[in-house]
Amino acid sequence: MILDSLLLQARLFLEEDMEISILNSKQIDISSPQKLVLKNRTSMIGTGGTLNIMLVISFEKNILSKLVENFMEGEEIEDEELDEIEDSVSGEVLNTIVGLSLPTFPNRGKGITITPPISVNDASSIYKHKDSKIICATVQTEYGDIVISAVGSKDQIK
Amino acid sequence: MLKVLIVDDSLIIRKKITKNIEKLGHKVIFAAQNGKEAIEAYNAKKPDLVTMDITMPDMDGITAVKSIIKDDPKAKIIMVTSHGQEEMVIKSIQAGAVGYMLKPITEDKLLQSIAEVFPEYAKDEDSEELYLLDDDDF
Repeated sequence: MILDSLLLQARLFLEEDMEISILNSKQIDISSPQKLVLKNRTSMIGTGGTLNIMLVISFEKNILSKLVENFMEGEEIEDEELDEIEDSVSGEVLNTIVGLSLPTFPNRGKGITITPPISVNDASSIYKHKDSKIICATVQTEYGDIVISAVGSKDQIK
Repeated sequence: MLKVLIVDDSLIIRKKITKNIEKLGHKVIFAAQNGKEAIEAYNAKKPDLVTMDITMPDMDGITAVKSIIKDDPKAKIIMVTSHGQEEMVIKSIQAGAVGYMLKPITEDKLLQSIAEVFPEYAKDEDSEELYLLDDDDF
């Protein structure tokens, strides 16, 4: 249910706000892997209050570059600023998707708080512990893949 | 022209709002990264308008709004956030914000939000048509 909400908002954001086409949308894969392999850029948001999980977004290089281009609206980026801008866009995309998804979370998201996004670019994977669960979906776009995941305890990840 | 204070922890959002505010003919006097910076900047620079994010490290937007409104009840603060939750809207308005805008940010959304607080900056489509008629006459 949580992942469905995130996927719906991701699709609306990418297609309507960013004008990026989603390919093979019916083939979006939802699975529960033993580990989550991270792509080029990854951002995370923690939720607190009535829901304690970690929400993760991971981008292939080209789709993140396209999103950066859209956010910058034609303005050039200095080389030394690129890393910070990419992290910022990665976090902001997740923040927007999560924020807009909250009203469709269980109990309409009441009592759920979210942290500011953080970026994790040195880690390559997240491993599942005994009582935890990972669910993830790959969104295939015309510029590359985005993986959206939820990580937490089995009773909270539905 | 309005003097605008932008408050957001996201670098890309500060850049985007700045660009759009300037395209609308206003001036960004400071871009703060959290609520604490926002309060200091507000007191030092007395902007006409503040755009305020909700979720930020150190001090969140709602706490910052309460503090600014306590010192200046006439402060004009528009919340800019990704939160689609009713309770966040209610908390923001209760704190003293005069408007609310959902991300993603666009020039049109900013124009509309500003016009609701400052009607004198509403887009006047009639005057544009009148200008075109005048132009044709020549």
